[in-house]
Amino acid sequence: MKFSIYRYNPDADKKPYMQDYDIVLEDSDQMLLDALVRIKQVDDTLSLRKSCREGVCGSDAMNINGKNGLACITKLSDLEQPIVLRPMPGLPVIRDLVVDMTQFFDHYNSVKPYLENNDPLPETERLQSPEDRAKLDGLYECILCGACTTSCPSFWWNPDKFVGPAGLMQAYRFIADSRDQAEEERLENLEDPYRLYRCHNIMNCVDVCPKKLNPNAAIAKIKDLKIERAKDKKPKKLFNLKVI
Amino acid sequence: MLIELLTDRYPGMRQWLTQRLSAVVMALYTLLFVLLVAIQQPTNYQEWHAFFSPWWWRLVTILFWICLTMHAWLGVRDVLKDYVFNLTLRSYLQLLVELALIVDLIWLVMILMNLNTGTL
Repeated sequence: MKFSIYRYNPDADKKPYMQDYDIVLEDSDQMLLDALVRIKQVDDTLSLRKSCREGVCGSDAMNINGKNGLACITKLSDLEQPIVLRPMPGLPVIRDLVVDMTQFFDHYNSVKPYLENNDPLPETERLQSPEDRAKLDGLYECILCGACTTSCPSFWWNPDKFVGPAGLMQAYRFIADSRDQAEEERLENLEDPYRLYRCHNIMNCVDVCPKKLNPNAAIAKIKDLKIERAKDKKPKKLFNLKVI
Repeated sequence: MLIELLTDRYPGMRQWLTQRLSAVVMALYTLLFVLLVAIQQPTNYQEWHAFFSPWWWRLVTILFWICLTMHAWLGVRDVLKDYVFNLTLRSYLQLLVELALIVDLIWLVMILMNLNTGTL
């Protein structure tokens, strides 16, 4: 099976280049990650991240034939040859297929991805109704592989300012959580013209998500929620005059 | 109040909402325009002139063009923000677009108010 893989070692190479491999696979090699492990047996200088090999950890996200995905759950039989593998776009390359995800996780951390609740701790857990719990479906499953954010042109153009689909979906995951009390602050936190509003519904995020999630819908719900909250607010008194 | 979202306190929302609201106005105008053209079926200059003669229709057309101007201005600003990183160049390009849009708007108002022929 033929592969063309992006290679770059900043210590040794002046610039990145594509290296071709022609590898004989075994019957048990069904997924792209199996083939990459096989390639590493021939050329152990090839660098990539991998861990769970079943689409749970999100380590082996990469650009596969032009589309971001997880190598471990991508079937070799679905791919056209030569299979072109590149690191995820929009992030600095550390080496070969390994990218520096600091920027990605900075944005993720900026939305405070944890419950904020100032009520005293109950004796057991904070309970949710089945309906409230169901609101988190399609949000909590994100594995933070970065495939969506790094396929988003808005993130490519403003990587330092736009939170990106993964971060925004996690922002909504906590806004939608009935146990969270910081909805106002969370919405306020996304108000500047870049953090949320750089999303132009390009929908690459939906197209590539290996968990079949919909960050675009979550982003739209954040905007809807802002409008809903504004509608509920009472009009401010003009010039602070009291109407008798 | 929804109007609060169009103030300085919501810079991101203001821009996003303005673009959506202006799009709604433009969509409604387009529907109305197609409907009226289908009914009146103007074919020559005189008929088109008569088509745009009612004062309310001129005002609605100007409102449509104001929305178009705002929509286009915000849209182009977005594109420039994404693709032109040199601040000076971006400012000049933005200024150019703003000038073109304002000249266009004034021109439309002049045509609709027949200022150039002085017949109003």
